[in-house]
Amino acid sequence: MTPPNRARRLLLHPLLWTALLFLALPWTAGSDPFHGQWSGFVGIATTMVIFALFASGFNLLFGHVGELSFGHAMFFTLGAYATALYANGFNVTVLGAVLAHGKGDNMLVALALSLLLALLWAWLLARIIIPRSSGIYFSMITLAFAQIVFFTTYRWSDLTGGEDGLQNVARPTLFGADVLRDSDHFYWFAALCVFVALCVLYWILASPFGSVLHAIRENKQRARFLGYDVDKYRVNAFVLSAVFPAIAGWLWTYFQQAINPDAGSVEYSGNVVMMSLLGGMQTFMGPLLGASVYYELQNEVSQATKYWEAWIGVVFVVFVLAGPRGIMGIIDDVRTNGVAAILRNPFKREEPVEPTFDEALKPLDESPAVSETGVR
Amino acid sequence: MRRTEGLPSYPRRERLPAIHLTLAQLTDQLVNGITLGMLYILVALGLNIILGLMGVINFSHGSFFMLGAYLMYQFNGLIGFWPAILLAAVLVGLLGMAFESVLVRPLYRRIPEYTLLLTFGTALIFAQIVRRVWGDDAVRVDTPPYIPDSINIAGLAFPFYKDVFLVLLTVVILAGVWLLLNKTNIGIIIRAGTRDAEMVKILGINMPLMFTVVFGLGSLMAGLAGALAAPIYAIQPSLASEWIVLTFVIVIVGGIGSFWGAIVGGLLIGILTSLMALLWPPAVEMTGYFIMGIILLVRPRGLFGVEGLFE
Repeated sequence: MTPPNRARRLLLHPLLWTALLFLALPWTAGSDPFHGQWSGFVGIATTMVIFALFASGFNLLFGHVGELSFGHAMFFTLGAYATALYANGFNVTVLGAVLAHGKGDNMLVALALSLLLALLWAWLLARIIIPRSSGIYFSMITLAFAQIVFFTTYRWSDLTGGEDGLQNVARPTLFGADVLRDSDHFYWFAALCVFVALCVLYWILASPFGSVLHAIRENKQRARFLGYDVDKYRVNAFVLSAVFPAIAGWLWTYFQQAINPDAGSVEYSGNVVMMSLLGGMQTFMGPLLGASVYYELQNEVSQATKYWEAWIGVVFVVFVLAGPRGIMGIIDDVRTNGVAAILRNPFKREEPVEPTFDEALKPLDESPAVSETGVR
Repeated sequence: MRRTEGLPSYPRRERLPAIHLTLAQLTDQLVNGITLGMLYILVALGLNIILGLMGVINFSHGSFFMLGAYLMYQFNGLIGFWPAILLAAVLVGLLGMAFESVLVRPLYRRIPEYTLLLTFGTALIFAQIVRRVWGDDAVRVDTPPYIPDSINIAGLAFPFYKDVFLVLLTVVILAGVWLLLNKTNIGIIIRAGTRDAEMVKILGINMPLMFTVVFGLGSLMAGLAGALAAPIYAIQPSLASEWIVLTFVIVIVGGIGSFWGAIVGGLLIGILTSLMALLWPPAVEMTGYFIMGIILLVRPRGLFGVEGLFE
């Protein structure tokens, strides 16, 4: 018996599942509220939700526009440093002018500054990169620009504290109440912020704007023929996808109460790529699941071996080769084909539903290149 | 992880006003830059040939460079300096061929981003394997005692292996690669394949085999660069991630799939990076990225790039 259409749609709504996931995360991370033991490893759960937002923002570009950015950690680190600098204050001399600021406690101002910085940088980059590149070229260029941000945070010691970064960032007060110092409270605060941001992201993706992004992903040229200014949409998508990592960075600084240049490194950029792919990149829930699975995996494997990254790499490589649709793809298969069919034929070749917007490189051992009527 | 340790060791001088630079310092850094540039060229050219022919962007290319250096370190004690360099390069080349035929080949049907994802994953694995086998600490290789420490040219002393031998050897290797690409049948197939792989296949060429061979050749060049660089730089697991990003930058600056692009890009970035060590040390690591930004504004496809390749 299937529920009525409306109820069914509500039941399968990604935001409902997102909320359920966030409610469940503290349990999976080891705490047990039923026995009054809240703290557990709630820090891991907080990490998961923050990176869920980071990966979702990245996935707006990767999964929904089809552009693989290998430098999204730059927006994360910009948001994080803006917050830390606002909270801790700074005093530097730039070209003879003294820039100084005392400590700040208003987290909304910190959020605004994070967003402003990330938006400006993203807009500047988008204007330079988007009209000039796409595909793997785009990936390499974003990676290189992220290095500029990374080395700035690394080398500008007067402002950023260099390799050690900025420490002792105070947790903000919530409308004057000092409640966020407790890690459980902070988890619920972070989960709520991330959930609100994800609602906005969902709204963006479900809007006509989101549909155009999907059209661009599937076939850039056709989207252009339909009259859409493809580059304008890609610039907007790029800037929007910088917003969510910046919010994640804002939360990250307050959560860690410290920040160092690693947050902008190639590793962080790569991690969200892995999370998105593990979860399922063309879906809304994918990056959320991916972030949770990634940190759960890291948590388990790193207890067994200090070379845990290798095992994460192995899992990732297996997914790239055998299941590029990620965990959501597996769930989708089970739902459409049933468990029995999957078990009967577990190594069924999974054909990825993905765009082939690069027509230059045809598969080599498929379809004769010479048609009946002659050379194409 | 400290990310600056494995970077080429520029002399950390005090910040000097430009007028205080002596000619000796300038020549010193210029020659330093040429050495650095030559190694960049070797690594970037291998990556560029693979990228041009196959559209495969190999994130593990830096790992192959690192493996070349580590294998050189491993064999140096066993079979001597020169055989170790050769063996390390050949082994990395063979590894590249196996890598291509087992892991990369299933991905040709998909969009090129997937090879980037795959090779990113394998780069993680390679880094951890290296940590497991050779440890976290940097290792060093010494040049054999019969190689002179320095050589006097026009009254200035230059480190012999680093600034003279390595540069000359790289020039010879590059000449060899140029001859291979331009004067042999394999080279003609590679260059034609860069333009249109499908058409070359129609002409009866075994392209899957060519792909494996070219991937092996590119990896061999990375391995050779690593082995040659082993006596100069500290060999450590972070070597791979540092070199791969700069290699990407050189490919972008030079232009995808271009032989001369890799050479000009590598030299440009090597020399300017070294000179930056004199002018403004904090910005040393960023030099390459700024050059890339400028080039991108002026010539979006790079200095020698062709429009419409892999987009």
